[in-house]
Amino acid sequence: MAYRILAVDDEVALQNMIREILAADGYTVEVAGSCAEALTRFRAASPDAVLLDVMLPDGDGFSLFGQLRRERDVPVLFLSARDEDEARLRGLGLGADDYITKPFLPQELRLRLRAVLRRVYRRGSETARLGETEILWGRGTVRRDGAETALTAKEFALLKKLWDSGGNIVTIDALCQALWDGPMVGYENTLMVHIRRLREKIEADPSHPRHLLTVRGLGYRLEREAEG
Amino acid sequence: MKLRSWVKAAGLVAVSALLIVAILIIGLLSFVFYNAEQGRDWSVPTQQVSDSLTRTADGYVFTGEALLRPENWAMLIDENGQMVWSWHKPDDVPEKYTLTEVAAFTRWYLGDYPVQCRVREDGLLVVGDQKGSIWKHDMAMRTESLLQLPVWAAGWFLMALGCVLALAYRVTRGWFRQAQQVRDEARTGWINGVSHDIRTPLSVVMGYAAQIEEDKALPPDRRRQAGAIRVQSQVIRDLVNDLNLTMRLDCEMQALRKERIQPAELLRRTVADFLNGGLAEGFPVEVVLPPEPLPEIAADGFLLRRAVNNLLTNCVRHNAPGCAIRIGGRKEGDQVVLWVEGGQGSLRQTVPVRQLEEDGGAAHGTGLKLVAQIAAAHGGQARFFTGTAYRCELWLPAWMQR
Repeated sequence: MAYRILAVDDEVALQNMIREILAADGYTVEVAGSCAEALTRFRAASPDAVLLDVMLPDGDGFSLFGQLRRERDVPVLFLSARDEDEARLRGLGLGADDYITKPFLPQELRLRLRAVLRRVYRRGSETARLGETEILWGRGTVRRDGAETALTAKEFALLKKLWDSGGNIVTIDALCQALWDGPMVGYENTLMVHIRRLREKIEADPSHPRHLLTVRGLGYRLEREAEG
Repeated sequence: MKLRSWVKAAGLVAVSALLIVAILIIGLLSFVFYNAEQGRDWSVPTQQVSDSLTRTADGYVFTGEALLRPENWAMLIDENGQMVWSWHKPDDVPEKYTLTEVAAFTRWYLGDYPVQCRVREDGLLVVGDQKGSIWKHDMAMRTESLLQLPVWAAGWFLMALGCVLALAYRVTRGWFRQAQQVRDEARTGWINGVSHDIRTPLSVVMGYAAQIEEDKALPPDRRRQAGAIRVQSQVIRDLVNDLNLTMRLDCEMQALRKERIQPAELLRRTVADFLNGGLAEGFPVEVVLPPEPLPEIAADGFLLRRAVNNLLTNCVRHNAPGCAIRIGGRKEGDQVVLWVEGGQGSLRQTVPVRQLEEDGGAAHGTGLKLVAQIAAAHGGQARFFTGTAYRCELWLPAWMQR
């Protein structure tokens, strides 16, 4: 089932762009240009998530956020032209799920919305494809050439973290944080061992990886669309 | 505040102080003269009174009644302390005086009556006034002290002037600050407004450009053009962000949220974000870190990442279509140095030519000015080197365990 998203922004051009970006990813998008319209649409469409501008012609997004949350506990991402710390902290402090500053790249919006939806609804694709390898998230396994191999908890967390970053570089610090919930000191070699084992499970040739790539001195990234 | 403003303020204050002193002196003198001229002054002209008292064969003749007020009285005492003449003398004033009594009343009071005396050939003329009507004060000073009076006077004057100047300084500084604050708020408000208005249209430009760039159905040339639009939009976005932050740091409106940070982690994260941001095509970045961990620093991670990002962006902006960028950190005493090096011949030893001007140098653009500002806000310094390879170093104090 496609997620239904309500985008609230008074700029029609931006509404259209968000609609196109998200529709291309399979979302159903409703738009509103004011607080009043947003409330009407919110009640009528029951969206799964709301993208909310902070400055609206008939009020501010922070107040609207409160009204929406009183009606239903729905994930909200602020989409604001205000980049000051105070505004960002206020938005997040109110309990918003994310705060995206304008201008943003479509990819950023996609990734952050997807992350929020996954966190809130814990749904998402059961399987993912990485070249010839199929990842079965629900079972914590990968399947290659018809053979299914189980991932360890650390390998699973590693693969998930890299997959979620959508092809971006993830630093070794961020990976250690995700795996051991702490700073990198002392874990660097262990991380390399986990990476090597993961490569053995997902790469056709682990010595020449095509998907799980090393970015020297920085970290790793997962190339989803490597040429076959 | 500009030097000119300071000079103007100091001049204003000095003139005011002098004016105050002059007014005080004039006021004091006016008071004295006013009182003396009205004849209400206590100083009875004893010489004239004395002259109007003459001795004849029949006794004393006094013609100076007009010189005295009704409440005055007078008497003449001879060499033996015996009163020989009097005019309106109160009853409680004795007629015979010892040497000690005379010595006492010539300086102070005669039975609470304030008196003035004048020595005559035939004795001592005493002119008195009502009890309690005059306050008498005896003054004596060593001559050498008196000679030091000009120095003391100058000292007191300078001290008074100092007090007035200090007070005036505080007041005028308050005025300047208030005025500055009003200007800062107006400026920040304006920049905020403009950047807010730019952000939404820029979102649309950047968003569509990125979508066109990703559209595999389009010819590569079109996608490349869209990519250029996307990159330039990001440049404008960075510029708007820098402008806002520069303004906020300038006006001291940006609070630092310091935390303990491992510099290597910060560098890796910044470089990863930079590479992920899609501005770095053609610009390989090499991270050079010492094998042992760098000391931690107390810093606002957001601001410091912004500073390092600006240095990376600066390399990209001035080295199209591409160059190798090196970034790293090292320990120098109790300081941590984060450095970025880019441009051709990045491995060559570079010579420090000059440091950035105090204000960050408008010629260097907002991005580098912000770097200098952020370094300064952390109690550090940004050092810029020009040479074949552009190089910048951020010197930051290491976090000290107390």
